[in-house]
Amino acid sequence: MTVDDGAADRPTACPRCRSTTVGVQATSPVPGVWTLFSCSTCLYTWRSTEPAENTDPDHYPEAFRLTPDQLATLPVAPTIPPLRAGDAPGGS
Amino acid sequence: MGPYADLRAFLDALDKHKQLLHITDRVALEPDVAAAACALTKLGESSPAIEFTDIGGYANARLVMNVHGSWPNHALALGLEPDASPREQFERFVEGYQRYPGELERVSDAPWQENVVDHDINLYELMPLFRLNRGDGAMFIDKPCVVSRDPDDPDNDDVENVGVYRLQVKGRNRLGIQTVPQHDIAIHLAHAEERGEDLPVAIALGNDPLITLMAATPMLYDQLEYRMAAAVQGHPYQVVRTSTGLDVPRGSEFVLEGRILARHREMEGPFGEFPGYYSGCHEYPVIEIDRVFHRTDPIFDAVYVGRPWTEIDYLQAMTTSAPIFVQLHEAFPEVTAVNALYTHGLVVIVSTGTRYGGFAKAIGMRLLTTSHGLGYATMVIVVDEDVDPFNLAQVMWAMSVKVNPASDVMILPNLSTNLLNPAGQPTGVIHKMIIDATTPVAPDVRGDYGEELDTPQTTDAWRARLATMIKELRG
Ligand SMILES: [Zn+2]
Repeated sequence: MTVDDGAADRPTACPRCRSTTVGVQATSPVPGVWTLFSCSTCLYTWRSTEPAENTDPDHYPEAFRLTPDQLATLPVAPTIPPLRAGDAPGGS
Repeated sequence: MGPYADLRAFLDALDKHKQLLHITDRVALEPDVAAAACALTKLGESSPAIEFTDIGGYANARLVMNVHGSWPNHALALGLEPDASPREQFERFVEGYQRYPGELERVSDAPWQENVVDHDINLYELMPLFRLNRGDGAMFIDKPCVVSRDPDDPDNDDVENVGVYRLQVKGRNRLGIQTVPQHDIAIHLAHAEERGEDLPVAIALGNDPLITLMAATPMLYDQLEYRMAAAVQGHPYQVVRTSTGLDVPRGSEFVLEGRILARHREMEGPFGEFPGYYSGCHEYPVIEIDRVFHRTDPIFDAVYVGRPWTEIDYLQAMTTSAPIFVQLHEAFPEVTAVNALYTHGLVVIVSTGTRYGGFAKAIGMRLLTTSHGLGYATMVIVVDEDVDPFNLAQVMWAMSVKVNPASDVMILPNLSTNLLNPAGQPTGVIHKMIIDATTPVAPDVRGDYGEELDTPQTTDAWRARLATMIKELRG
């Protein structure tokens, strides 16, 4: 399914990590009210109608900004346990 | 009053008691919804719930907040009169909790089966998701009941789990989940991951008020939240079994079926959390949603989390106090009540009879070794049994006149605390404090205590009479 009618004003960079990996996740069920974007690098999500501090990299609060280095060193919780002997991985 | 078959029945009850505000003007999801919910928390302890019925971008979405967010609402959820005091609500909760187990009743039909979406799922279109606090990394579902079973013991209902875990919406059918290691779902997930299998989950949203409280209550691993809800409401709890074998409340507005992906972690956060601070970012497990069921014109229920007090503090008030009380009372029957309302029980007030000098300090130490004490309680205040621990004016009086800091304050170094406690040093470790605000009794003969003031004869009779008159006066 494509929900890409907000593409015209699609932002070029993620407000939080400034990556250019920005896509459209949804548009408002009533057309033309808002578009919801997300960043595939840091998974930040925002709506076109939010205040500038949540949509514009230059207004995004310093305290919440992320860099690629920070993304690489996040603590993992819970840790992934070892596979039981004899169990073949199934999963998705 | 109560039990409430579903959220709608509870909203009707709130309406009847003038505890529900209807916002029919158009609102924007950001910042209006969170701002209104936050504002309600600043309007006292009797704030109503709030319903938004014209939300920008949706044809007919309905969104409620602050459903549990005041003492009257919390009292109604427990089936009490809205003017029940916190102490009365505590007693009611404990009494229900100790009746465990109640009866689980499986039925085959539920209103949430009316609509099903099993392809092209887009959660952003199906429900009015919104950002709660400006630094939150995404929209979150923060009042879910997440249901899972132990893949090593799949037919055992007693180890089925219903818990509240924050869910970050990461994509149209993708969620992040915070599985707190001490909680039961973490055990289920570990077993699934050792087997290399996804863990099926069902996520129930927009629920009757009692099951949300039960899902927020720490219980034993083999206690089922539905049976606890039945015990508290004194009536069987109705569930419907999903195709993946999970029991879901019959009354839910939305039911999301999905899987926690085996052996996979992904960036999550931050999210403004209950201590009044943002959590950091972590690599957390991920859920893929395969099917969404919902009632026609479903109601989405969310909780505002801000600097305390906010609605979340009511969700973890009696749900924290009652289990601590039960454990403590088992060891020391003199204990009469526990108030663990403050930031999920980081501060706890206990009232107790005193067996002999020094007894109150032992109560404080026992509290620190309860399961909740190990992970949370940092400061314990012990008061006499005639001091209501839920009445802070009384507690402050006890602190004022019964504490000699020279010998009534104990500091215990380097004990365990919750990772979300920002005062830990290092994180997860903290000194703890017990304040003995009970009257010294022999052989602890410190201080110069004469006769304490009491109340005139017939005060209790006058109290009942005047309370009725005041109620009538105010209609
Ligand atoms: Zn980003």
